[in-house]
Amino acid sequence: MGMIGRVRSQAVDASKLVTDWMEHRTGIVTMMEHFLFEPVPKRGAWIYTLGSLTLGLISLQFLTGILLLFYYVPTTDHAWNSIYYIMNEAYFGTLIRGIHYWSANFLLAAIGLHMAQVFFSGGYKAPRELNWVVGVILLLLVVVIAFTGYALRWDQDGFWATVVGMKIGSYSPFVGGQTIRFLMGGDTIGPATLSRFFAIHVWLLPAALAPFIGIHLYLLRRHGVFGSEFEYTERLAKLHERQRLERFERYEEEDGEPNTGRRDRADRDGSE
Amino acid sequence: MYGVATGKARPVEEEVITEENVFERPDETIAFFPKQVLYDLFVTTLVLLACCVLSYVSPAPLTEPADPATITYVPRPEWFFFFYEQMLMFFPGYALISFGAVVVPTIFIVLLLALPWLDRGPSYSPMRRPFATVIGLLVVVTVLLNMLLAISRIINFPGQ
Repeated sequence: MGMIGRVRSQAVDASKLVTDWMEHRTGIVTMMEHFLFEPVPKRGAWIYTLGSLTLGLISLQFLTGILLLFYYVPTTDHAWNSIYYIMNEAYFGTLIRGIHYWSANFLLAAIGLHMAQVFFSGGYKAPRELNWVVGVILLLLVVVIAFTGYALRWDQDGFWATVVGMKIGSYSPFVGGQTIRFLMGGDTIGPATLSRFFAIHVWLLPAALAPFIGIHLYLLRRHGVFGSEFEYTERLAKLHERQRLERFERYEEEDGEPNTGRRDRADRDGSE
Repeated sequence: MYGVATGKARPVEEEVITEENVFERPDETIAFFPKQVLYDLFVTTLVLLACCVLSYVSPAPLTEPADPATITYVPRPEWFFFFYEQMLMFFPGYALISFGAVVVPTIFIVLLLALPWLDRGPSYSPMRRPFATVIGLLVVVTVLLNMLLAISRIINFPGQ
């Protein structure tokens, strides 16, 4: 055995040792096999990337959001200045805030397309009802996160859009007044509003979002990707063919007299 | 004899396809890894690249610092709220605004949450459940039309 062959076999032994050690203690190899080699529908594979695109964009939101926190200051005096600093002075600030902003826009579009795909292919039907419900909850959470993020800029656009949003919210029957006062931290939009929107945008709703994403993925894996009906064309054709034959047999039994079809001819040939 | 080695020559029991199990697995599958993962990575990477390019071509906006004293500023919602803002225009006045702003969207969200129990028919294909499909298309068209109306309003009356 040559030098290279010896090194190679030693490397294989070493990696096997490591994976066996990890497998024995954590079961991670079995888990990875289970997660990675799951069969998924083939024909519409490109369409089903919309869901993982949504997940990817949410991950980008978390990542760039954490990086923005390095500089962002959630006070009325410094919020705008800190964003101005991020955009003009901070290393890659334009890029990091740009990705946060643009991937949020793409995220809303991807969620819309993902929902439309599931709706029109009927992917919400039994046994996947609860995954649709979890998806709607995720949509609502993302929309509120997007709304609260707008105010954090503390520029004219974000400020006045928040004023309008709060005004619209205050029209809610029964609960409007209290809810809006709670969100604004008072009767007007000011320092308390910014603190609360910051807490909601950065902590409360992302923390609520994460477990729902987990449930969404768990349920997806539990029932498998549905895809669309054209993933099942051959199986449906077989089912319909069998049902047609069964109907035909029942009809014969009830009617007594054989009339047409291969089976009849076979019976007749056998008796003659 | 060779069956054990290849794992393929074993006699496969013919599966009887029934109404219950027909949607259990698709006709053709691919392994999630590596194929689907590669597709996913490809699309996500394309969008990430688009975000990077757009960050410099069209940087994330930051207007003048907030000034609660101004009275003439016309705020624009973000584009994904355009249809909602436009919809409010159809509910003018104090009596109707709470209906358009809160009641209608709440009903819509409740219907959205209840969708799987509203459409319990056995067919999946959009062609064979025309009611759901038509309603869905109407929602899409309404949202898109409202967006177009909002955009044309913003272009026609800047600063209003």
